[in-house]
This record gives sequence, structure tokens and C-alpha cells, in this order.
Amino acid sequence: MSLVIVRIYHDLLGTYGDQGNAEVLIHRAKARGVDVELVEVTPGMAIPRQGNLYLLGGGEDGPQTASLDLMKEDGGLTAAVQSGATVFAVCAGFQVIGTTLPGHGGKIIDGLGLVDAKTIVNAAPRSVGELVVQPTNKSLPILTGFENHQGLTDIGDGVTPLGQVLSGVGNGFNKTEGVWQGNVIGTYMHGPGLARNPELADAILESALGTKLTSFTDPFAQALANERRSTLIR
Amino acid sequence: MSRSARLALANMAGGIASYASKKLKVGRGETIKGRVILVIDPKAISKLARDRDIVLVSGTNGKTTTTANLAKILALGTDEEVSTSAHGANMAAGIVATLASKPRNRFVVLECDELYLPTIYNLVAPKVIVLLNLSRDQLHRTGEVRKVAALWQKTFNRDDVTLIIDRDDPFLEFAVMDAGHVIRVTFGGRRHPDAATCPNCSTILDWTLGDYQCKCGLGSKLAQVRGGKGLTGPSRNAILAIEAARLMGAIVPVEYQNELTANPPDRTQVFNIAGRTIETRLAKNPESWRVGLTALAAPQIILALNARGIDGLDTSWLWDINYTELLGKEVICVGERKLDIAYRLSVQGIKVKTADSFAQAVSQFDNRSIEAVASYTAFQDLITTELGISAKRGVTR
Ligand SMILES: [Zn+2]
Repeated sequence: MSLVIVRIYHDLLGTYGDQGNAEVLIHRAKARGVDVELVEVTPGMAIPRQGNLYLLGGGEDGPQTASLDLMKEDGGLTAAVQSGATVFAVCAGFQVIGTTLPGHGGKIIDGLGLVDAKTIVNAAPRSVGELVVQPTNKSLPILTGFENHQGLTDIGDGVTPLGQVLSGVGNGFNKTEGVWQGNVIGTYMHGPGLARNPELADAILESALGTKLTSFTDPFAQALANERRSTLIR
Repeated sequence: MSRSARLALANMAGGIASYASKKLKVGRGETIKGRVILVIDPKAISKLARDRDIVLVSGTNGKTTTTANLAKILALGTDEEVSTSAHGANMAAGIVATLASKPRNRFVVLECDELYLPTIYNLVAPKVIVLLNLSRDQLHRTGEVRKVAALWQKTFNRDDVTLIIDRDDPFLEFAVMDAGHVIRVTFGGRRHPDAATCPNCSTILDWTLGDYQCKCGLGSKLAQVRGGKGLTGPSRNAILAIEAARLMGAIVPVEYQNELTANPPDRTQVFNIAGRTIETRLAKNPESWRVGLTALAAPQIILALNARGIDGLDTSWLWDINYTELLGKEVICVGERKLDIAYRLSVQGIKVKTADSFAQAVSQFDNRSIEAVASYTAFQDLITTELGISAKRGVTR
């Protein structure tokens, strides 16, 4: 079994440690004997269209807009999603894959439109803190992460969120957090999100590989996930 | 423990407490004194600053050390007494206390918090401002590094002060874009971990040659001073301090300059933990963790991590750091967030374990040397809780 992971512009969208998601996915895939190739896409490089799993991280306003412009021009990510690839996008990356979002300077601009999600600027102070989520997918345990964002994201009616917020802000609309539409997953959880939620990492790998994985327990990963859950669910 | 070692430790602990008291908003010592002054006279800062030659030092890393260095160089090079900030007291109360302690000293060197710098600049009318660097601090505190840079850029638009900057840092170059007098120091350029795009125009910066120059013009101004390439952060800061001292009229002997840049003072402290002598380094933010990890020589390492306010509530940055230096070493993680760091290290293939305390970690090691790196409150916990040294009284419980 082989897997091509494409990490997009981690120089631009890697301000909040989200590139760790790639390390976690590679680690967990290799533990199941999957052959993994990581493609690092830097600005100026074409985004490959044959990848199985695309990763976008968080970033500051300026770099976010710059990376969106590059991805629109390139078209590779949109093409890959149309042919069934999986996307895991965090924070600024989540906003970018939505329909509209505030650009650098605040003007609302078009996103990539991979999911039905409209981001606006929150008039209230930045949402910063631990986020605890009851996932929509009942086979997953409670998810935790660290959110740090100014935008609020309204996912369309009938669009499945990643989960419901138990504590924290998340999308900021109807207690939803993130999105899971087809094979495209968006979230506000840093931490990195997949380091703190190994079961979610596996669900994403399964989506990308199109098959169930054998079980694998990494003692440190599980201990960290459990410690965060038991500390935050009181 | 000898009396002098204990005294040194007490001094260090006192310094930590005064720094922490500022961050945690629990007043003590100089800070309390300063608050009292400000209650009595809210205009005390500008009154006490009048007709004095003031230098401000700010930046993400090395403020406290550089402020102390600069005060020392200035005193030596001018033969005058120099007033300077008490360890890390870099907000209004600490600053007013420094200004008040010897009001007849002409020279004053003040450390200043990044977000508070605009206010203090307008209050004290400094002759020189030294801007060391800007990188990500605790993300939850200052928000984005670009916001601090933008705040400075809006502030430094007059020609009543000379700014000394490390121009290799694009955020500093942006901060002084409209400033009247700037002395640019270069160390030959180096990739800034947080500056993928231009702070001025958001264009993607080309770092392939190890330096930046944006099409909007940022980075194109020539530097007046050249430091050596590949210097460490503390050495770079020492050079900036020397330039500031010269600008204030100090004569800096070459031997002194060489010594200072070759062996810049380091933020480490030697502790006796469970019968072992352990050099422990304080790491306050991602950049100081990076620097701290590269300095480790021992084969056995303790890493202590908490995520309380001043440490940074979000531990995601652990994944932005490369731990290659730890490969082949034995690492034990302690602190409230030991699992976050232990998991991160295990994914990079580093031999790692966890323990509930420094002492328990030490007991798992053999007799080869041990070094430690600790986040802010983990360092504090080690001193006050585990080693039982009261920061206030400086005595063993
Ligand atoms: Zn530019």
C-alpha cells in the first residue's frame, strides 16, 4: 500500500506547528507498513494532482492571502479534490478552502470553494484557548485542540461539521466545529490536531487510502490524547 | 551548598520572581516601588526622564541580558555611573523605579516590553533605541509577530531618536521603514523562521541566498555595520549593544568587544539536583528553545515543559523545532506537558522517557553528565518547589 502526502506551502501556512500533522500521519502510516512519500510544495512549485492526502496549516493574514492566490492560480488542489483526494486543513487553511473569507486588510474575497464555508471577521476578541469537540463521526472519541483565530466560519445548511463544541469557540456558529464534507476536512484545532487526536489521524489516513487500517497503539500518542481529554473534560 | 553559591542562587531566584511577578501581574520589590511612585505622581516617568541620556532595549529574545551588557559597556566606556533596569522589569512600574533610584545619573539603559515600547518611547524621549529581533513569542499573548512589527512601524515615524537594528530581521527593517535615523547592523543575512512573506507588502520573500530583498524595496538599504556571519543570538545582541554604547559616546576597547562577542553571557544556572550537578537552561519561547538545544553537550538530557501563561498556552510550536541534536542522547521529559514533548521527540526517533520530577529523572540516569532545558514556569517550579529555595527569602525551607 502506498500513500502520497502533499504538504502545501508550509513556509506560509505553518505558523502554528501544523506541519506536525504530516509527521504524525507519516509515523502512523509507516507503522502499518504503508509506503509513504511526502511532497513538500513550496511557492513557485506546481501542486501535484496525483496525491492522496493534502495538508494545509494555519498562518498569519498576509501569508494566508498569498497562499490562496497561489493555489487559485495553480488549480492543482481543486483538481485533486475533484478526483477524490483527501484534504486536512487547519485554521487559516480551513478558511482558505471555504467559499469566502476576509483577505489581507479585511475585504471579503473568494476562497477555493472546496467546502461550503463562509468566514467572517469576529468583532469580539480573538478566540484563543483549548477547544473540546464531540465528533460527528461516532466512531471517534472526544477531540481536543488549541484554537487561535479571529475569523468565524459559517458552514452551509446540511453540511456536516467535524463535531459539536463542548468547550471553546470553534466555528462560532451553532456550536459547530470544523467541517467534514466528502473527503475534505477542516478544523480550528491546532496542537497539532493530529498529534493530540491519533484516532482522527487514522480516520484521515483511512479516507486517503480508501481502506481500513489495522489497529496500532503508540503509547506516547495515546497517553498524550488521554491526558488532554482527562484534563479538559471535567 | 556554599554560602556564595546559595547567594547566587537566591539572586537568580529573586530575578526570576521579579520577572514573573511582572508577567503574572503580582507586584514585588522594584515593581511595587514603581507602582507607589506612579500612584503619587502619574507623570513621574517623563519628569524623571527629562534631560537624561536614555537608551531603550526591546525585542523578543535577549532583552534582559543585552540591557545589562549595554549598561556595563556604557559605564566602562564613559566612566560614569549608569542606571539600568532591575532584572527583567520592563513595564511602567519597573521603568519608573529605575529612573527614580539615582535621578542624577545621566545615562539610563532601560529594557522595554515589545508592546509597551511605543508608550515608553513617547514618555522618555530616548536618544537611542536598540531593536534586537522579532520572532514568535507565545502566540496567545502578542497575537502575531506581524502585529508587533506593525505597531512599531506606526510608532517610529519621527527623527528624534536613533534606532539600531539587526537589518537581517525583515520585521525590524519593516518597523523602521519611516524612521528618521537608523543604524543598520548586518550579520551576513539568515533565514527568518517566521518571515515567509514580506511584512510590508505580503509578497513571498525569496530566501534562497540566505537573505531577503523584496520587490517593494524592503531589505535594499545598506547596512552601516557588519558583524560576523554565523554568530549566535547572544553574540549578535552584544554587537548591537556595543554599537549603542558607541553612539552614546562610550569608548569600547577592542579586547572587551572581542570577549563580549565570543563569550556572551548565557541564561543557564547550575543546580544540585538529587546529588548531581546539572546545568539548566531557561527557554522562554521557540527561538530560545532552538538556541538552547543546540548548546547541549551532555549525553543525558532533561527537558521540562509547562504551558502556563508565560510559557505559552499552546504547545504546537514543539513541532516547529528540529531535535536532530538530541539523536543519540537519552532524554527524559518532565513538567505538566511532558507528554506533548515526549511524543514529539518519539516521532523524530529520539530515545525518550518521562518522569514526574527532576529528581526522579536524575535517578533514571547513569553517572554520565546531565544537562537540562526548562520552560519559564518549569524552571521556577524547579527552584521553588523541587529544590525548596524560596524566591523571596533566598533560604532553604
Ligand atoms: Zn515587500
